[in-house]
Amino acid sequence: MSSSATQLAPKKQEEAKPKLAVLLVEDNQFDAELVLRALQQSGYDVSGTVVQDEATFLKALRANPPEIVLADYNLPDWTGMETLNVLLREGLDIPVILVSGALGDVTAVESIKRGITDYVLKDGLARLPQVVRRALREKYERGLRHLAEEDLAKKVDELARSNADLEQFANVASHDLQEPLRMVAAYTQLLAERYRGKLDEDADKFIGYASEGALRMQMLIQDLLAFSRVGRNATPNRSIDCNSVMVEVLQTLSTPIQESGALIKFDALPTVCANHTQIVQVFQNLIGNAIKFRGIDPPEISITSEKQDGQWLFTMRDNGIGIPKESLENVFVVFQRLHGRTEYPGNGIGLAICKKIIERYGGRVWVESQVGNGSAFKFTLPPEPADEFKREQP
Amino acid sequence: MKSGLRLLLVDDNPADIGLAREALARCVRQSEIISLENGVEALSFLKRGGMYADAIRPDLVILDLSLPGCDGLTILRAIRGLPELRRMPVVMFSTSRLGRDIARCYESGANCYVSKPGSLNEFLAAVRSIEEFWCGFAALPPAID
Repeated sequence: MSSSATQLAPKKQEEAKPKLAVLLVEDNQFDAELVLRALQQSGYDVSGTVVQDEATFLKALRANPPEIVLADYNLPDWTGMETLNVLLREGLDIPVILVSGALGDVTAVESIKRGITDYVLKDGLARLPQVVRRALREKYERGLRHLAEEDLAKKVDELARSNADLEQFANVASHDLQEPLRMVAAYTQLLAERYRGKLDEDADKFIGYASEGALRMQMLIQDLLAFSRVGRNATPNRSIDCNSVMVEVLQTLSTPIQESGALIKFDALPTVCANHTQIVQVFQNLIGNAIKFRGIDPPEISITSEKQDGQWLFTMRDNGIGIPKESLENVFVVFQRLHGRTEYPGNGIGLAICKKIIERYGGRVWVESQVGNGSAFKFTLPPEPADEFKREQP
Repeated sequence: MKSGLRLLLVDDNPADIGLAREALARCVRQSEIISLENGVEALSFLKRGGMYADAIRPDLVILDLSLPGCDGLTILRAIRGLPELRRMPVVMFSTSRLGRDIARCYESGANCYVSKPGSLNEFLAAVRSIEEFWCGFAALPPAID
């Protein structure tokens, strides 16, 4: 047992004591020694410099920056509070602890408000090591937080830049692609017009394929442009009455509604805070889809809304063909189509645009569906700022 | 056959000049068409400079915006700045749909701005409407010389 004790003892001594560089602002040599001893006894390997005025304080600060400043409140030619100003001027984040003979509560509170980390009375020096440890830990955590914040800011910046690049790329690419494509489309059409039936059957077919392809590509580019435009040059948000949005959408879709015999029901819908055109687009795309992807029966579409977590949750339910489970998320991806072009025309941009618009307002969109059992598209939108249910929230 | 306009088409894209000629060929009146693909050349044609000393004065200029040498807006401003040309009707005909481009053209004295439509039929219709309006309905300014 004794052998293990002797082994332990040197090991303990080998364990390096944490080094602590202290800059002491103190006019009383005796007090300075007491302070340093208190720290040494608590297990620090203390190196201390003692100064009493601004000039020597600054000199010591620059020569050998300390980890902590311990300052007496009252000095013959200076005051401990002044150390804060010097540190600020030097751009140094070093905790300052007031070590004072007497310090009224009011003064203490005032000092901490001004940036002193803590204070210790000279007749309570036993508390000093603990105060120092806490100050150092807080500084360390402050440093970590600062690094994390800087890192986050950098990432946000990078993301914004890469998003902007992508938008610009899509925009430029679409515009520049349109020009040559317009030529292909126009001249294949002209060829078709002028030479249909004058060449052989194959020629007619080839020209037909070429001009259809060009037209489709033109549509794709238009869609891509529309998609990349969401989020740019949008007018500021205002209160949008979704009931009037519905009236507008029903009017726009009146032909498909009549042709399909669609029955569309909607509750008294709320007012949301958004851009009018974009909300019309969301409703129009979703209702348009519900009509387009109808089953054998005429479409029955219902739109309901409810308050949920400070947002309006809309549900648009239909009795259409439904969506297979594995495609529930894919339907929102740009140019993702689940059906052949001859079955259901379209480029697969509508839901992608809906998603982009809704997410612009901090909302979410998803779909619940089963093949053959209809779909329920759900999305959230922010309420108007003065919405009463916001006031109801605790 | 009714006689049409003397038309100057300035466009750097020969395919678009081809389409415009196609559209004009389908009109009732047969316009006399001069087409140029370069901005500097178009300007010297209008100013009757160099090899264009005997150039005709067109009744109407159809002007693209993006041109090599000097762009459509510069040509438009030059036309509006010269006493012998300033009354000449100019129709801007460009793919750009940017509000900024359109505004600048009107501010610089364009008589009209037409965006080139993407589809063949609309393109042909646009050129035909320009011809029908300027040749059939609009009163053209009397010639200066």
